[in-house]
Amino acid sequence: MLALHRKSLHTTGKILLNIPMMMLILIPLLYTLSVSLMPTDEIYKNVLIPSSINLANYRNAFTNPNYHFIRFIFNSFIVSVSVMLGQMLTCSLAAFAFSFLEFKGKKVLFILILSTMMVPGETTIIANYLTVSSLGWLDSYWVLIAPYLCSAMGIFLLRQFHLTFAKELHEASRLDGCANWQFLLWVVIPLSRPALGALGAYVFLNTWNQYLWPLLVTNSTTYRTVQIGISMLYDVDAEGMGLMMAGVIIVIVPSLTVFIFMQKQLINGLMAGAVKG
Amino acid sequence: MLLSKKRQSLALPISRIAPARKSLLSAAEPYLYLLPAFAVFGVFLFYPFFRTIYLSAFLTNKYGQARVFVGLGNYIDIFSSSSFWNSLWITLQFVLMVAVGGLVMGLITSLLTAKAFPGHTLAAATYAMPVAIASAAASMTFRMILHPTNGLLNNLLGTSVNWRGDPAWALLSVAAMTIWLSSGINFIFLSAGLRNIPDAMYEAAAIDGAGYFGKLWHITLPSLSPTLFFQIIINIIYAFQSFSQIRLLTDGGPGEATNVIVYAIYRDAFFNFRFGTASARSVVLFIIIMAITLVQFSMEKRSVHY
Repeated sequence: MLALHRKSLHTTGKILLNIPMMMLILIPLLYTLSVSLMPTDEIYKNVLIPSSINLANYRNAFTNPNYHFIRFIFNSFIVSVSVMLGQMLTCSLAAFAFSFLEFKGKKVLFILILSTMMVPGETTIIANYLTVSSLGWLDSYWVLIAPYLCSAMGIFLLRQFHLTFAKELHEASRLDGCANWQFLLWVVIPLSRPALGALGAYVFLNTWNQYLWPLLVTNSTTYRTVQIGISMLYDVDAEGMGLMMAGVIIVIVPSLTVFIFMQKQLINGLMAGAVKG
Repeated sequence: MLLSKKRQSLALPISRIAPARKSLLSAAEPYLYLLPAFAVFGVFLFYPFFRTIYLSAFLTNKYGQARVFVGLGNYIDIFSSSSFWNSLWITLQFVLMVAVGGLVMGLITSLLTAKAFPGHTLAAATYAMPVAIASAAASMTFRMILHPTNGLLNNLLGTSVNWRGDPAWALLSVAAMTIWLSSGINFIFLSAGLRNIPDAMYEAAAIDGAGYFGKLWHITLPSLSPTLFFQIIINIIYAFQSFSQIRLLTDGGPGEATNVIVYAIYRDAFFNFRFGTASARSVVLFIIIMAITLVQFSMEKRSVHY
């Protein structure tokens, strides 16, 4: 009886300690949501919670032709999905070679790929910018997609997964007269769905959230991505604030959707990708 | 394999060259699978890596073309400018705040959710959630929170501090926002680390009469130390690369109060069009990060105990 009482006290204590910590993490987002729903005069009055729900900022963000929000969201989707599918393909091909095939220089090439994880993107960004601008690629979908069509992290993640398959699988399929590419397409890729899911969720989110590269290589509203789009909304006046916060909510919703529905895959991808930072 | 050779030997003499061609193709086959990956890495990683080193030895025109060879001149230039050392010092402060702050947040949140309780899943999802938030979006949110007259922080504290515009607060503000943003990844890794500590160790300690903090100090933290070390390195590298929040919250200012290395590179290249010195700064950043990574590798080799 006493033990039971102590245990429930313990649980209550845990909940009571978790609530302030959860608030600390959630407050920035709840505050953003709250400001985005306020009429302008309430932002000026420094109220915390809007007296009524006011969707004008969202309507403004979507319908005002000056903000091109729908276009930016569309652009970000095109780029994120292309990069995601591209990496799934290129990384599957490379990981397959590294896990199932034997060839000269295999070890050296693999180390070469792993060593790219040590080079932070920020250090090569100037040279990359100069390359794409001399190729005349600036302001296109291609310039946003091409540099990210493969990643060492993706190859590494998929290779680790392929290595868990039994070698006999490959031998058996070869005896059945299956070419390597057929084995990859019909056996390896379908069996790699968990790893591909992790890679896909991670890459989609990373690309959706990208800032520096799209900032440098896009100039026109035609190709601008949504992260650059919202960060251009800021104005010092309170009217701009509500709009800006609505913009933040609009870009966060797809990120949170991926997070909520693919949390497990995303975390697996993150744990593989964190090595790169 | 044997079977296919036999079949080929039965073929007409004219097609005898076929096996040779086929083996050439099958020898080349593995490289074909690697071709797309190496094409991307070649153009966007290896080539720019060497081009950055090359450019760092030149003065460039405003299109980034190498014009005058200056050898180590750009390096001498930046190493003798007080602005570079200031930027390095600011980066160091920022990195320390973010690395330690993120770790502390991760440790608290992972300890709070280490054992199940009603609402446990919701709490864990909340603590992991910042990993999904874009740094640009989070920066805009914090612009609002830190707003001098209408922002939440001044509102709650009853102050009127100009968080982003006051040199005393600007770096701290950007660091606080970055800690919030990186608390999710810290939570995920430290939680995984905590789960790997065998229950038997706690049971033994409980028999010895250890309380919560005794267990924390004598079992949890020592067992977690490899994870803590790994995570602090991840945090350091992450902090070194932070850009959007600097650009969107302070623009490197006020003055140069938040002009971290990555921001200084950006400013040098894309505002002053000094691609040569910006490349030299990039090389310095690369060397710093490589050194940290190598420290991590060597420490990990020494401290792995499964």
